[in-house]
Amino acid sequence: MKVTDLVVAASIVALALLLSYAMFLGGIGPVPVRSELRTLALNYILLTYNPAKIIYSALAPEGVTAIVWDYRGLDTYFETAVMFLAIISVVALTHGCKVRIGLGKGGMSLIVKTTTRILMPLIVLAGVSITMHGWLTPGGGFQGGATIAVATVLALVTYSIDTLAKHGIRKKILLAMRSTGLIGIALTAVALLIIGLAVGVNAYIFQNQERIGSPLAFPAYFSGTPTGGSLLFYNLFEAFAVSAGLSLAIIVTSLREEEVKETLRGEGVE
Amino acid sequence: MSESIIPYLLTVVFVSFVINLVIALYGIFARPTLVKKIIALTIFSDSLNSLAIFVGYRVVSGRVPAPPVVVNYTNPQGPAQLAKVAVDPLPQALVLTAIVIGLAVTLFMVKVTMQVYRVYGTTSVRKLERIEHGNRGEEDEGVVE
Repeated sequence: MKVTDLVVAASIVALALLLSYAMFLGGIGPVPVRSELRTLALNYILLTYNPAKIIYSALAPEGVTAIVWDYRGLDTYFETAVMFLAIISVVALTHGCKVRIGLGKGGMSLIVKTTTRILMPLIVLAGVSITMHGWLTPGGGFQGGATIAVATVLALVTYSIDTLAKHGIRKKILLAMRSTGLIGIALTAVALLIIGLAVGVNAYIFQNQERIGSPLAFPAYFSGTPTGGSLLFYNLFEAFAVSAGLSLAIIVTSLREEEVKETLRGEGVE
Repeated sequence: MSESIIPYLLTVVFVSFVINLVIALYGIFARPTLVKKIIALTIFSDSLNSLAIFVGYRVVSGRVPAPPVVVNYTNPQGPAQLAKVAVDPLPQALVLTAIVIGLAVTLFMVKVTMQVYRVYGTTSVRKLERIEHGNRGEEDEGVVE
């Protein structure tokens, strides 16, 4: 590291501290320190689990998941769509590339491989646990899915892309899993609408509990524990889709030079 | 002492995020290498996410603020008790999706950069521009002939 780098870093830190002190002393007027909740946040917290006001409630104790999949469900659906668009673009960039068995040298040493074999089920279990408690404790489908994808990354680094392909973790299967997750989310979003059409009562898209003018609701309790109604299904499908999608994107990103260059030259494409 | 230092520390956090954003913007615009642009972009988005979480923060006198989870949900007064100590859940919900989308978009950018390197042998935008100019020059000559 050069001396100039240190000087630059130190001066930036000094700037931050001095600027904060100037602001703290009232350089740009009094700095507001918020000690009260905003009204919007207060409403979310008071209504996220409120059996007395069920038509405004998601019946899920975890406020963040309730906002993500109930109050702002449509928003999250399109955000998920953006994510999958990015993953599809990654896959499209390597269209035609194939994993050729026997190119790799067989991965890392025996110690690392054994440790990975012990760790991988635990990582997947942690991911499933984060997903399945998403409406009770901080967590949910996104976080659980991303955790499960870590297991794939670990396997990819420790073993090789060959081994993953041999064990059935292939592009097509991951794409199918990802699509299944997305279709599951879409079906959960319109499930009550379809039931409402069949029975002949009103229902809304992304409806979870009873709303004004619609008596339909997802079951909110399982043996006395809140399930958050539709949040359970959203979290499950989201974890499924995110884990498969991220694994797919990472596998495609770590294709070997030989395989990709063949396709770039136009040799690998059938 | 501890009561008066909290606003100062919160201001330091706020100013640090803003300075981080500025440095990241410098990285995005001034560094020629695509890899460094991606790194600066992730720093930018992470700073912005942290800033959003900071906006939802509140000071609760005498204790650490609680996450927006109704732990005591069997008690009808549980949500009201939580509202006295909890932070704002909305920025957290927005940041949650932003992080996952950010990861996917970063993967896409990394992939594009890898392909650019494979085709052109460089990730510097200045060199890429020169190569592109050279190609265009050859094409123009072709038209003249």
